[in-house]
Amino acid sequence: MSKNNNMSILLKGILLENPVLVLILGTCPTLAVTNSVIGAFSMGLAAMAVLICSNTVISLLRKFIPDTVRIPCYIVIISGFVTIVKLLIHAFFPEIYALLGVYLDLITVNCIILGRAEIFAGKNTVGKSVLDGIGMGIGFTLALLAIATVREVIGLGSFAGMEIPFISDYKIEFFVKAPGGLMVYGIMIAIVTALTKGKVPMKKEFACEGCPSAGVCNTACKQVKEEN
Amino acid sequence: MKHNIKVVLSLTIISSVMALLLALTNAITAPIIKEHENSAVGGALKEVLPEGENFVSVDLSKYDLPETVEEAYSEDNGGYVFKLKTAGYGADLILMCGIDGEGVVKGVQYISGNETLGVETTYGEKFNDVTAENIENVETVTGATKTTTAMKNAVKDALNSAIILGGGSVDIRDEATILNDNLKTALPAAEGKFAEIFITEKKGNISAAYKAENNTGYVFILGEIFVATDNNGAVLNAVDDTAKTEVEAVAAGIINSTMTEIDISGFADMPTHVQKAYKTSGGNYVLELRAAGYGINGDKYTRSGEYIQIKVSITADGEIITCKTISQKESEGIGDACAKPEFYNQFTGRLESNYGEIDAISGATITTNGFKTAISSAFTAVKILKGGA
Repeated sequence: MSKNNNMSILLKGILLENPVLVLILGTCPTLAVTNSVIGAFSMGLAAMAVLICSNTVISLLRKFIPDTVRIPCYIVIISGFVTIVKLLIHAFFPEIYALLGVYLDLITVNCIILGRAEIFAGKNTVGKSVLDGIGMGIGFTLALLAIATVREVIGLGSFAGMEIPFISDYKIEFFVKAPGGLMVYGIMIAIVTALTKGKVPMKKEFACEGCPSAGVCNTACKQVKEEN
Repeated sequence: MKHNIKVVLSLTIISSVMALLLALTNAITAPIIKEHENSAVGGALKEVLPEGENFVSVDLSKYDLPETVEEAYSEDNGGYVFKLKTAGYGADLILMCGIDGEGVVKGVQYISGNETLGVETTYGEKFNDVTAENIENVETVTGATKTTTAMKNAVKDALNSAIILGGGSVDIRDEATILNDNLKTALPAAEGKFAEIFITEKKGNISAAYKAENNTGYVFILGEIFVATDNNGAVLNAVDDTAKTEVEAVAAGIINSTMTEIDISGFADMPTHVQKAYKTSGGNYVLELRAAGYGINGDKYTRSGEYIQIKVSITADGEIITCKTISQKESEGIGDACAKPEFYNQFTGRLESNYGEIDAISGATITTNGFKTAISSAFTAVKILKGGA
């Protein structure tokens, strides 16, 4: 486990394997909470907390959890942490709790978390899994922040609830609505793809073999393999 | 088999550990969350009861409160806040009402509803510093009678509820229930089923009469006293002698009265208001009138096209015995007050010389005038019928 390797695990989540903009995971919460910067930031942090905890525990238990029931086990662990985070937010940050609403519970089925459990934590050591959780969490938070900034500034003429002079006179509410969200999301993906052109490694874990269903899938996977 | 056991065990262990962690977290956060919720509710409650401290939700199942009370909160100074649900012009009119420890209304706030007039949002202010004793002085708003009456009644319910929660007792029955309960007490044999009868004969000071639906007798209302009689007019229940004498003097006449229809087509001068006329066995006249109120003479786009149907009994000397509105389609919340006993009972005992002095329905001049015109025709009709008979 070289230092360099650890660094790359941490950093890849931020751009090269950004869960939202490159892996296209967690689209639902991304679109739902990015109409406000504060909502996006708190959702990012909440998801990161769950991600780090679940990655750690799943990685710790990876030899104990039987392969056949790994998904139920992951879900139990993840939903447990989500509920803990939810209770803590409700108790200590009631405003944020009200802001995130139902999407807080939906972190349970956020595919980033289940995806990282399946792709990474279930196969790697605790240290690496924690780094992966932090990296992916930061990547998720930054992506949400970027999208939310664009949407809130243009759509509401404010940033994190603070009104921006001049822009607030010309706000375009379309951007805080669902279609605006999809549009900004799409443009962000395009920008990231352009920025990382040729550098995004089609890693095994991201390609067909990395697919959670790879073990049972025997048609599409084979074809992809042959083509490769 | 061994594999299966491992699968079951691992899932069980993981679930149990997670459950334990959740229980621990909940133990820490539950009191804090509860506090937040209380302070959030407390904030809303403070709006209507600013001096309230430490609001606690009251378990309503222990009390018999008016149906409008949805939720109640008590506070340290003996005051209460009520969430009230009533129906005004639309359904589900929600109000918050704060009452302090002295039984004084400190705030009424309109929360939500389907009212359309806008007056509901400010009408609550009129109840500031009102008590159960002087709430009747708060006037409803003409043109928004339904909404404001509903709000006023809801505040009355809140005032009553505060008394009940404070350990007192209040009569929370509505008028119809009170009437029926009194009738039931006077004549238990009727088993609570009564029909009002239209009095056509001399009635003294009797204000209303009811017949038991199972023919067990009659109940006459004499001021505050409910006097029950058998089918021959003999008093059954224990009442003071004056009331007994007074009722027995007229009861038999009222009970045994019969009517014969008079053909009015033969009277050329008969006013058109008169639809049907009857002569009673006691020599009085009963007339069925139609009055052109707002339904006929109102604004051409809002009138209903229907007459007010009135039934009136008059002595041959021209004194009104009973007057009652049978049907009407006047403006809702305004002219439809002509169907209320408070309005038509004003005509009882009136003569041609003074019937015009009754109180008009506020905001419904056309309805009131139409009604009065029909009544004036009734006096004319009686003179014609007397002359012709």
